Amino acid sequence: MMTVFMIVLIVLSNAAGDVYITKGMKQVGEVSTLNPRELLAIAKRVATNGNMLLGIFCLAVSFFSFLTILTWADMSFVAPATSSVYVVAILGAKFVLMERIDTLRWAGTFLICVGVALICMS
Amino acid sequence: MKTPIVLVLAMLAQAAGDTCLSKGMKTIASLNQPDEFSLLMLVRAMESPMIWIGIICLLIFFAMFSVSLSWADLSFVMPVLSFGYILKVASAAHFLDETVTPVRWAGTLFIVIGVLLVSKSGSGSGERSGTAAGGNAPD
Repeated sequence: MMTVFMIVLIVLSNAAGDVYITKGMKQVGEVSTLNPRELLAIAKRVATNGNMLLGIFCLAVSFFSFLTILTWADMSFVAPATSSVYVVAILGAKFVLMERIDTLRWAGTFLICVGVALICMS
Repeated sequence: MKTPIVLVLAMLAQAAGDTCLSKGMKTIASLNQPDEFSLLMLVRAMESPMIWIGIICLLIFFAMFSVSLSWADLSFVMPVLSFGYILKVASAAHFLDETVTPVRWAGTLFIVIGVLLVSKSGSGSGERSGTAAGGNAPD
């Protein structure tokens, strides 16, 4: 039971983290410079952006939950959790970030989800 | 043009980071009894240069990942980065002497096809270039 709860936590916090980071970076603005001074300004905006901070926090939760579950569960058991992040994240992208996702992208993501599961399970 | 560069850098950094961390943690673990997961282990980990290199690589990955998201869709970046799993398999096979099972090869194939599909898909790789694939028409 605890394992199921932890896996759900890992997947949701990872996907949420990715979504928040995307949101935050879109607010910070497109990074298209290699100028050190501009990069520094961008870094400052990143460090003070609420969505970015929330996103990093969520990813940290996911990461430490992942490490914790590995102390009692097999990597091959946790693998589907890792791969289902792709599907949950794309759902987040669609409904929270309002990204347009065509059939090809859905199909590709699903195949990747299966592929990652296979790799992690072996 | 910047999308492929940034994403390739991200993948390389992630693969390098994971490999270094794996190698580092295996060395640490072999120094202790298996059931001795303690803070001592973490302290030992901090002394390992491999671990530090791994952490730096993963930080680079995170920077590249975030930067790409400043212009591209999450639904594009995430699948494309999954290609890194293949790099991880290849790197583990080469540097960590792990064997690549048929199941892993199958998984790799799935990912390759999946990534191909996503990269051909119509919306939001985000670059305002003239390419047909990946440009989202501004509303």
